[in-house]
Amino acid sequence: MALKLDYMVRETGTNLFRNLSLTIASILTVAVSLSLVGGSVLLRYSVDNATQQWQGGIEFIVFMQPEATQAQSDAVERQLTESTQVERFEYFDQERTFEEFKDLFQNTPQIVESVTPDILPPSFRVVPVDKSAETIESLRSVFVTQPGVREVVAAFDSIRTIRNLSNLIGVGLMVVAGFLLLAATLLILNSIRMAMFARRREIEVMKLVGASNWFIRIPFMLEGVFQGLIGSGFAIGVVFGVQRVFDNIAADQRFSLFSGLVVDNQQVMTTSVFVMVTGVLIGALGSAFAVSRFLDV
Amino acid sequence: MIKLENVTKTYKGDVPALRNADVEIAKGEFVFLVGASGSGKSTFLRLVNREERPEQGRIFVAGKDILELSSWKVPYLRRNIGSVFQDFKLLTGKTVYENVAFALEVIGRPKHVVKTQVPAILELVGLGGKMDSFPHELSGGEQQRVSVARAFVNRPLILLADEPTGNLDPATSVGIMRLLDRINRTGTTVLMATHDRSIVDTMRRRVIELDRGAIVRDQHRGVYE
Ligand SMILES: Nc1ncnc2c1ncn2[C@@H]1O[C@H](COP(=O)(O)OP(=O)(O)OP(=O)(O)O)[C@@H](O)[C@H]1O
Ligand SMILES: [Mg+2]
Repeated sequence: MALKLDYMVRETGTNLFRNLSLTIASILTVAVSLSLVGGSVLLRYSVDNATQQWQGGIEFIVFMQPEATQAQSDAVERQLTESTQVERFEYFDQERTFEEFKDLFQNTPQIVESVTPDILPPSFRVVPVDKSAETIESLRSVFVTQPGVREVVAAFDSIRTIRNLSNLIGVGLMVVAGFLLLAATLLILNSIRMAMFARRREIEVMKLVGASNWFIRIPFMLEGVFQGLIGSGFAIGVVFGVQRVFDNIAADQRFSLFSGLVVDNQQVMTTSVFVMVTGVLIGALGSAFAVSRFLDV
Repeated sequence: MIKLENVTKTYKGDVPALRNADVEIAKGEFVFLVGASGSGKSTFLRLVNREERPEQGRIFVAGKDILELSSWKVPYLRRNIGSVFQDFKLLTGKTVYENVAFALEVIGRPKHVVKTQVPAILELVGLGGKMDSFPHELSGGEQQRVSVARAFVNRPLILLADEPTGNLDPATSVGIMRLLDRINRTGTTVLMATHDRSIVDTMRRRVIELDRGAIVRDQHRGVYE
């Protein structure tokens, strides 16, 4: 058994080096396509995170000044309660806003440390009776002039655009990634086929002396899986890079109203595992196809 | 040891390469397959180790119907059948020792078996002193000895030889035939396709003659024609 393992590793290694240029081409294609896959998954997570304040039908948010008085805040609350255009609303005080903030920026403690509850704006998260632009615009014009109100932000003018845009970008990336993944699979298939061609004499002798089918196949399969794995390794590097970029953007605009493109470590891990599994699957698929189609054992 | 029952093999709708063949070969026999070019000798040999499948008939090797074997079991059949060819089929990048060792390694034989069996078999075929040579450094006769060593190193029950002397001069051919005869004396069944009249006539073994796929003669202690 030890001898066999030895043999498998040696064979796989020689094969990989024999066709270095084709091997590199396959690995790079896997890397690029999986980077796009990983990037678009991260973007999806990140947009969901960034817009999480807007879930549950909340269509606009009235941000108070951090230093607004209790009376000003009570006045706004009374007006919201009385308005026939408001279905329901929820008040986020500074403590609760801070909790949310900590949650959003859990990867970048230096940002969280630089913030205390008393500098954050408390807010009313409002669900209107209907989502028409007129209703929201009329509500907005009422509240934006109230004393103690810092800003009124409506979903339709920022969040919807971002969601739509990110959906579009996400779909676009996935389509391109899909074609590249197909190309990667075909490249792996071809590089395995070349490896088999280069070793056809050995394969002929192996068949003749009774090497088992799997003994002949496995080094080629391993070669394909290895290419997929290395390619996905590069792509995982890119995924971590993207997280860093998102964090930096977030750090620049920590007080902006939507919290930047943050993704937490858990999400990065999930994305990385997904990318790696996809890489291995592509390698296995390409080589399995080559082996079953062209090895004829 | 080998039994063909009414076997017909046709390649892609053409005339049959082997037609209604009925043959029984006992353990330890030495059989020559003769016949004109294209008469079906190689096809016969390829049917025995299941490189080809017939459209019709049954083939038994060591009592088992090999056409019933699922494809993953075919390698285990071939471990009992050594093969030798006119063109030797040696791996050019490997030494004599490595070429023979390869046959054991790829069927998962442990290292210590390889280390003892390979030198022993190379000694037997008279190449004990050339273990580290590469095939291109050897004469044709020596290369064929390596190929016989590789075919026999796992002690198969059957040895198939397809024109093993086809590329060799008469004197060298005699050497190879002595070797095959010696292997046959250990109890191995030998089946050899050949065009070499003098070899068949001097050895006087069983001769099966094929003509356009049909067995036209099956003669004990026979001659070439
Ligand atoms: N792989 C193949 N595909 C199609 N036809 C084949 C194939 N192999 C052999 N044949 C045909 O089958 C017939 C028998 O061929 P085979 O090789 O068995 O003859 P042979 O007796 O070994 O000839 P030779 O003495 O020249 O080696 C021939 O007509 C040949 O053209
Ligand atoms: Mg032939």
